[in-house]
Parts: sequence; structure tokens; C-alpha cells
Amino acid sequence: MAAAALCWALRAARQVLPSSCPRQVRSYYVDWRMLRDVKRRRTAYEYADERLRINAIRKNSILPKELQEVADKEIAALPRDSCPVRIRNRCILTSRPRGVKRRWRLSRIVFRHFADHAQMSGVQRAMW
Amino acid sequence: KDESAASKDSTPEGAAKSQVDGAETPKQQLLDIIGSMKVEVSYRKKLQQLKASENKKQAVNKLEGPDSEGSVPQGITEDTQRGKPLNPELVKAASAVASSLPHDKKQTESELLAQLRRHEETTDKQKKGGTINIRNVISEMTVKRQSPDRWVARKSGLISLQLDEDGQRIRPERSSAHTMDARRSLKVGKRLNIFTKASTEPEHALKTVSSPTIWDLEFARDVAAVTAQPPRNGFEEMIQWTKEGILWEFPIDNEVGMEDDAEFHEHIFLEKHLEGFPKEGPIRHFMELVICGLSKNPYLSVKQKVEHIEWFQKYFEEKKELLQEI
Repeated sequence: MAAAALCWALRAARQVLPSSCPRQVRSYYVDWRMLRDVKRRRTAYEYADERLRINAIRKNSILPKELQEVADKEIAALPRDSCPVRIRNRCILTSRPRGVKRRWRLSRIVFRHFADHAQMSGVQRAMW
Repeated sequence: KDESAASKDSTPEGAAKSQVDGAETPKQQLLDIIGSMKVEVSYRKKLQQLKASENKKQAVNKLEGPDSEGSVPQGITEDTQRGKPLNPELVKAASAVASSLPHDKKQTESELLAQLRRHEETTDKQKKGGTINIRNVISEMTVKRQSPDRWVARKSGLISLQLDEDGQRIRPERSSAHTMDARRSLKVGKRLNIFTKASTEPEHALKTVSSPTIWDLEFARDVAAVTAQPPRNGFEEMIQWTKEGILWEFPIDNEVGMEDDAEFHEHIFLEKHLEGFPKEGPIRHFMELVICGLSKNPYLSVKQKVEHIEWFQKYFEEKKELLQEI
């Protein structure tokens, strides 16, 4: 299982560089928690349609209750990582789970760092 | 004698030296002309000259041929004979001319004969009427005369178009006039057979290997890597990014990647997909609600909506025994 995880991690640590054009590319995730989050997002994307449809069967009052119970069991049988609730919006640079502003996907510390160095376009220190 | 004199006049100054008196035989005249002739003389003139002199010869005397060749056969003039093989007299004459020239004899002879052949061919064609008749081509053409006041009116029209907000008044008139003229000249008149139909070759795409091998891919990658120079300035960098897909294409097209060719009625009227379901019962009710929701959804393509409905169909098919119990 560790080997499988390692393989997956290696695949995740992708290198997209062509030989020419040196450009900064992020080739590793910040930590394992971020990697797990990435996995969860991927499976959630794959199972999104199915989950939507099964939920549509579950959450209505027209179909018979037995059908809805069967649908309950089915949705519970899907992989646990496929539910979107488990996704956490982490900071993309530091993987901090808390204090992340959604617009920039950055944690508050990183945001402040960049804004003070004038690297955030249109962001200014508030003064009024 | 007159013909030979005329032909002599037509030759360049080289032949002027050989202005012989009328006492010499035509054969002598011919030989003198050939001997004194310079290389710049065009072959056609020479041939005409030869023909004229040969006619003269035959009219006067039975002569032997030029020194190097055999005797010139008597008989018919060249004008009457128009068969595919060249007249042997012409051949003889050509060889005589070739021999007189300082250049390579065989080559000049062959060139002369080729010229003769071409000449014969064109005359044949003209006789049969196969060549392009200029008259036909010109008959359909008309000289377009534009009076200066019309030119002035056009210019003013152009200027007024810029000022005019509703510039649609002037344009359709002019365009209709143009199309009228074009229509008249395009469809009227018989075929001229000037252009041959370009034969479209069948595509040779099937000849090549069906799937590129790994070596081909490697080679292609190496070539791309070598030719892809790093960008010299910001513009090239942005171009590269656009090609890779990192940068959007400007002006921004909101519908990039969304090629929905379906009409609106395919999005809204989805009842025809409901044929696999029972006509009555809760399932039908449920599916009608599903369809109502899908018809109001602008974000899905028609294909996705159809897949959605088919998934439900499959699901209910599987649950059929369960539903029977209920």
C-alpha cells in the first residue's frame, strides 16, 4: 500500500518541462495532505454525475420509498473520497487549511507577504 | 528569280554580299546564300527562303541536291502535302542548312526538324479549327466605359457612406449593378475551351503508414525541441503561452471549447427521449420533472442531457424486479 501510494505520488510529481523554455514549474506538492486533497478533488470530479443522479432519486417525494432506500445504499457504496464535502480549500503555496482567501487561494500570511512586496495586482494597504 | 530576290532581301546583311546577278543558276544562288549566311539568322526565315528557292528550282530545272546530300526528288510542292511525316524535301533542306552552320550539325538539324513539325501541327490544327479562335474570345467582351461624372458620383457616394449612418441605401444599388454585369458576361456565350479541367488527384493519404511509430514520435519531439527557441521578447512569450493554452486568445471569445451545434428545440423538447419509460406512474412523473429541469439548463450540451436521461433509463431497467414487487 505504501508502494502504491509512492507510485501515485511519483505520478503526481509530474514534470511537464519541455527541454527548452525554462519556466518555473511546480513539480511537487507541498505536503502529503495537499496530495490527498488533490486525490479527493479528482475522484469527486469523476463521480460527480453519478452522485447527482442518485441524489436526485433520493431527495424527491414522488418515487417509492423502497427505491430511495436502495439509492441510499448505492451512494454509500461509492468511494469515500468521491464526496465533495471532503475537499478542503487549502492554500496552494503553503497548504495551510485555515485562513485561506478564496479569491486568491492563498493563506493570509502568504497573501500579506506578496501584497507588501507589490506582487499582487490591484491590492493596496487599506487606509481610510 | 523574283522570289529569290525577295527572299534575299529579307535575310540580314550577311546575305547582301552574295547579291548575285540573275545569270547564276538558282542552285548556285542557294549555295551562295547558305554559305554566306551568319548564325543570327532565324530558322524560320531560312526555311521560307529555302522553300522559295526550291520552288524556283523546280520551276526552272531538274537539279541535283546540295553537295553533301543526295538528289532532291522532284514533284509536289510542299504546300500541298500536310501529312504527319515531314516532307523529305524539307528534311533535305534542313540538313543542308544544318551542315552550313558552324555549330553542332546534328543538333541544329534536329531543332530545325522539330520546328518544322511544330509548324505543321499548328497549321493542321488551324485547319481543323481546334485552336483558340481569338474572335470568339473577344466577341463576348465589352469595353466598360465609365463616364467621369459617374466616377465623381462614386467618390461622393463613398464619402457620403462614411457620413451616413444608414449607409444601406447606396450600397445595394451598386452591388446589384455589379452582379448584373457579372451575370451577363458569365452565363452568356459558348464555351471557349481555353482552360483544361484541373484533374484533382485522389488523395494519397492512405498510402502512408496508419499509425506513427515511436521513432517517428521521438523524431518529431526532437525536431520540435530543437526548433523551439526561447522567446526573444514579451510578445513572443505571450504567443507561446497562447499556443500552449495558458493565455486566452484576445479578443476574448466566451464560447471557446463550447461548440454546440444543436438548435434550441433540441435542448428544450426532450420528450422524444422518454420513449423507454412507462407511460404512467411515479417514474414517468419523475422523468418529466427531470426533463423540465434539463430544458432550463443552459450549461449542458445536448449530448450530456441525453446521457443523463439514458443513465436514468438504465438505472430503472436494473431496478425493474424491485419495482414489480411494489
